[in-house]
Amino acid sequence: MENSFTINNLNLFYGDKQALKNINMDISRYEVTAFIGPSGCGKSTLLRCLNRMNDLIPSVRMEGDIIFDQENINKDKIDVVQLRTRVGMVFQKPNPFPMSIYENVIYGLRCQNIKDKNVLNKVCETSLRKAALWDEVKDRLNDNAYGLSGGQQQRLCIARAIAMEPEVILMDEPTSALDPIATAKIEELIQELKKDYTIIIVTHSMHQAARISDKTAFFLMGEVIEMGETRNLFHVPKDKRTEDYITGRFG
Amino acid sequence: MRKLNIKDIILDGLTYLFSSVSILILITIFIFIFQRGFSSLNLGLFTSPYWSQNYYGTIPESNRIFESDVNFDKNEFYSEKYGIALKDDFNARNEVIVVISYIHPDSPFNQLINASSGINEGKLIVAEEGMIVNKISYITSNGITRSAGPVLKQNAEETIKTINQSIQLDSAFIQTQGGGIMGSLIATLMLIFISLAISLPIGIMTAIYLNEYAKYGRFTPWIRSSIELLTGVPSIVFGLMGVLVLFPITAIFGANGTSIFLGGLTLSIILLPTIIRTTEESLKVVPDSFREASHSLGANHSQTIFKIIIPAALPGILTATILSIGRIIGESAALIYTMGTYISDKPELLKGATSLAVQIWSIMNGDQPNFGLASAISIIILVIVLGMNIGVKVLTRSKVKQW
Repeated sequence: MENSFTINNLNLFYGDKQALKNINMDISRYEVTAFIGPSGCGKSTLLRCLNRMNDLIPSVRMEGDIIFDQENINKDKIDVVQLRTRVGMVFQKPNPFPMSIYENVIYGLRCQNIKDKNVLNKVCETSLRKAALWDEVKDRLNDNAYGLSGGQQQRLCIARAIAMEPEVILMDEPTSALDPIATAKIEELIQELKKDYTIIIVTHSMHQAARISDKTAFFLMGEVIEMGETRNLFHVPKDKRTEDYITGRFG
Repeated sequence: MRKLNIKDIILDGLTYLFSSVSILILITIFIFIFQRGFSSLNLGLFTSPYWSQNYYGTIPESNRIFESDVNFDKNEFYSEKYGIALKDDFNARNEVIVVISYIHPDSPFNQLINASSGINEGKLIVAEEGMIVNKISYITSNGITRSAGPVLKQNAEETIKTINQSIQLDSAFIQTQGGGIMGSLIATLMLIFISLAISLPIGIMTAIYLNEYAKYGRFTPWIRSSIELLTGVPSIVFGLMGVLVLFPITAIFGANGTSIFLGGLTLSIILLPTIIRTTEESLKVVPDSFREASHSLGANHSQTIFKIIIPAALPGILTATILSIGRIIGESAALIYTMGTYISDKPELLKGATSLAVQIWSIMNGDQPNFGLASAISIIILVIVLGMNIGVKVLTRSKVKQW
């Protein structure tokens, strides 16, 4: 299968501290790839490399290649804004903007200076439909997004990312702030979305990784210990450390 | 049984004692000001000028009786012959005055013709209730012109009695009461407008630069601490700087001395540290997750700032504005140099005037300090500042954790 991302020899430093050590990884298209591992192991950091969100942190230094669509995105020259429209992101805590539901969904389009009302309305509807939120909010698109429940807010954030028509959606522990029912809805949604998008999800829950992902990468201390088909990784881990982690001996 | 610890008792006692002393001081200030100022406080204060206007007018002939069905108080004295009622009163300096308390619609006092030379000569004087009567000249049956009124130490009753015995009235010397704050009120509003128009854009943009563009810059901490240092500079020093440094700027626009413009410029510099700090605090409160989400959706830096960060920080920016207005209303030292102390009833941008606070200074600085008016203005300032502070409280409370 075609690769969405190819990562070669990626090293990342926060000041003097090395957070990612020599990462090599292929991420396939139209699949769900899960990153698991204990806290501080570098999985979120790697995720944020994929749309250059680490640029917002001033002390970060990166070495190595991240190939996306035949282009190395770990260069100064690339258009970060354009990259981010192609690689969307959903965060740990639902973080809608303090404005209406409608404005939230079309915020990315507005930033691209798209002003055509018909286009905006259409994108808003399709995005909310894809995020399985349309039926719940179609009558109150102009209400403040903070009137929604946590799970709805997170699906709104997914809709907001989808509105940009990205190729990849990065999800950084998208369900860690949600209750089990909302979590189940999001997981169901991810299954639906992977038909159209490549999804990379960081999760603390090994059960979630096992339920929803096709491939899983296990991180420890900034290194990828093991990566493979989710089924294989959970049933016949090759590395002792992976086995210890998934059987709950640490972490 | 609780053990009584002498040390604890002393400490507790001191705490209660000193806190009640501070509350007592506050209450005393309020009671003092209200007692002195409350009687001077009325709506006319806001609309009347400070300086009294003098009018000298000739009174037309009249040969009828002006009957009136108005019920006069026993301290009001009505002349049916001329259709005017006078009463005794005190002015703000507690001097005895005679004021007009009623004018009959057809009274000759409604047709006074200005007799003092100047551009207004020959024009109609609008005599109003509340004006001070200084002198009324009348013609006796012998055809001699005599005077009545306070200039001859007559009170209202005596004045009315005297003119009732006359054949005809000749002229009247009347003046408006004055002592109002209209000029200072307008000057203060102009001052608020000028200072905010200059300092808000500069202050807000500086705060945005410090918090959003140069957050981790090498010089940012230095800039920030120098701005904080400015907060501690006494305002009179800013006033001095205004005279020396900012006056040439106002001179370009045609000011040739103290002016509201110069005061506004000086105040806008005094306000900058407060505005920068308050705005920066409110920008800091905007969660980073908003910035991340905006960037992740392909917004660039300035889109993120102007579409997300500033709207989210708006309550804080509003707080900065209100605090600034409070500061402008309360400031006096810096304005004495830059705006002058001469109370102007028709303030102009490039001329000197007083703000409300400086008007207090001017009133109290004269030969006859006017405690009543000064206290009345103090009450007005106190009420405005109190309102501002409550506004800030309400705003910051409604801001609390929407996200």
